[in-house]
Amino acid sequence: MQEFKSQKHNNRLPTSIVYDIRGVQKNREAEGVAFQLTIPTLQISKGEKIALIGQSGCGKSTLLDMLAFISQPTNNNSFFFQQKNIADLWKDRRYSLLSKIRRESIGYVMQTGGLLPYLTVKENINLSRDILDLPEDDTIADLVEKLDLSYHLNKRPTDLSTGERQRVAIARALAHRPDIVIADEPTASLDPYASKTVMAMFINLVEEMGITVIIASHAWNDIKHLGLRRLSHHSLRSPDELKTETIVTG
Amino acid sequence: MRKISRLAIKDYLNEWQISSCYILALAAVLGPMMVLFALKFGIVTSMFDQLLDNPVNRELRPIYSGHFDKSWLEQLQKRPDVGFLVPKTRNLAASMLLKSKNAPSIINVELIPTAENDPLLSGIKKYPEGFDSIILSKSAAKKLAVGTGDTIQASVQRHYLGIKEQKQLSLKVLAVANSQAFTREGAFASVKLLEAFESYKDGQAVAELNWTGSQPTNAKKFHPSFRLFSQTINDVEGLQKWLETQGVEVITQVEEIKSVQQMDNTLSTIYWAIAMIGIIGFSTSLGANLWANVERKRKELSIIRVIGFSTFDITIFPIIQSLLTVFFGWLLSVVIYLGISFWINSLMSNQLEAGIQVCVLLPQHYFISLFVAAVLAVLVATVAGVRAAYIDPAEGMREI
Ligand SMILES: Nc1ncnc2c1ncn2[C@@H]1O[C@H](COP(=O)(O)OP(=O)(O)OP(=O)(O)O)[C@@H](O)[C@H]1O
Ligand SMILES: [Mg+2]
Repeated sequence: MQEFKSQKHNNRLPTSIVYDIRGVQKNREAEGVAFQLTIPTLQISKGEKIALIGQSGCGKSTLLDMLAFISQPTNNNSFFFQQKNIADLWKDRRYSLLSKIRRESIGYVMQTGGLLPYLTVKENINLSRDILDLPEDDTIADLVEKLDLSYHLNKRPTDLSTGERQRVAIARALAHRPDIVIADEPTASLDPYASKTVMAMFINLVEEMGITVIIASHAWNDIKHLGLRRLSHHSLRSPDELKTETIVTG
Repeated sequence: MRKISRLAIKDYLNEWQISSCYILALAAVLGPMMVLFALKFGIVTSMFDQLLDNPVNRELRPIYSGHFDKSWLEQLQKRPDVGFLVPKTRNLAASMLLKSKNAPSIINVELIPTAENDPLLSGIKKYPEGFDSIILSKSAAKKLAVGTGDTIQASVQRHYLGIKEQKQLSLKVLAVANSQAFTREGAFASVKLLEAFESYKDGQAVAELNWTGSQPTNAKKFHPSFRLFSQTINDVEGLQKWLETQGVEVITQVEEIKSVQQMDNTLSTIYWAIAMIGIIGFSTSLGANLWANVERKRKELSIIRVIGFSTFDITIFPIIQSLLTVFFGWLLSVVIYLGISFWINSLMSNQLEAGIQVCVLLPQHYFISLFVAAVLAVLVATVAGVRAAYIDPAEGMREI
């Protein structure tokens, strides 16, 4: 395993850094309980497969939402995404530009659901392409076949099993061939066996399509055989347990 | 914009049961409001139409006879609120005997001075100008058994130097007035003809007709009265006031006109009071519905955001849905209105003259109602839209 990981590092091309983050922080507080996520440095290169492993509440979703420009860092010194200065865009309230970067470059797989109940499976998958006015090609047919969704295209999400829904969500996140796909515990709601199969399908697809992937999960055992780079992090908790800080680097 | 509209419409149709409730709620307010407005509009319009249709409502009749000279009448004529003015001659001189080949009896008719554009003779193009033509009232034409184009014989009499004299005159019937113009037996004639008769009865000569008598003096000629109509129904009151400053008292229908206007104001006030309640009710209920909808759809709206729709798209999502509610609600209201107005009009049809409807809307009223409802809906939906834009997608998408 160690061997495999270091091999990955050697293959990394210096010019193809997708995320370049330094000194970014996010604070969250509710009912006197504060949480702080700190990222001293984080670099993710094109084509990397990143795993974010940690126990519940350690801040995985918080980090992913920042990486998808869904939530604004409380404090950011330097946040570049594909040479774009995201920190400035947030500061200048260029929200529609952030939306544009998000819809063009990022696919997001949510933990559960994430499908629109009023669209059919096919329309849900096509939504990420439709919003970009992409012409029809065989991407969707391909995804549908590989994720074994052919029989469900005209159904509504409510008529699917949980595992099927997650596969539809994966198909939608990949349909527009984004540069990055971010998945927040995409298989957490599935049973262990289904979880393994779906995760394997997902990783195969992103490898095949050459998409950079960042997956959050709390079970390293489930994915360690898939060859992902694991971000290191540690959490500190204040003695009165009212403050938690997680520091992520990688 | 196009894409978010498609999503909003699909969501709206998918939730057709909830959507229909909103549509029904709108129609429940807008439908009755349309019926009420149509009733008010229909009643007031038909009252105004009756006022306007009858030129008598624009007439100002002097109560007492006076001495109106030419220059004073010209001054009156020049006023912009005067629609029609002809001087009258003394009542005593304003009659003649008529006879025709078609009827045995000789009848005595009243003479009414007329000129171009006589409001009582609307629809009749020709008017008597000289000494050879008249327009007969309906009853006179009937008694004489004559019609347009016939020639009749007229005669006038006088006592001159103790001798009873009479003159004959051939007159062409230019037209027959409708029965409302003048109910008794009468003839509309030129002012010249009336003045000739007046001079003749006074024992004077009438040069134009070769009637002999004493030479008319050069003294200023006065008219005892006149026929006066204002330009529009709204000019009656002002004209009456002016005449009073000139010492001329007139009889008018001004009270009647005022009472119709009063009625219009009263009905409008009542209607708008009801409409305001309706508008407030409609706005708050639609606003509350939309707000609740946004809260209910936090998750879906967040998903849309995460996929990459912009804040603007999220804001207009409820606006588009509110416009759908307005459009379908309005359509349903129109259907409700058409049904009820047809029913009301057929109920009332026995009690009213043909063609008069108490429940009426003009085409523009339909569009105004649609427009007003749409503007209100967009206003309240914008509040909901801004609320939607403030949903934090990071929280919204993880909602349970
Ligand atoms: N809206 C919020 N307001 C305040 N604190 C929050 C909010 N959402 C999350 N937190 C806190 O932030 C911390 C990190 O939350 P986050 O959702 O990122 O954890 P996670 O690692 O994704 O957990 P899980 O594995 O259960 O999904 C938690 O301690 C949580 O209590
Ligand atoms: Mg999480």
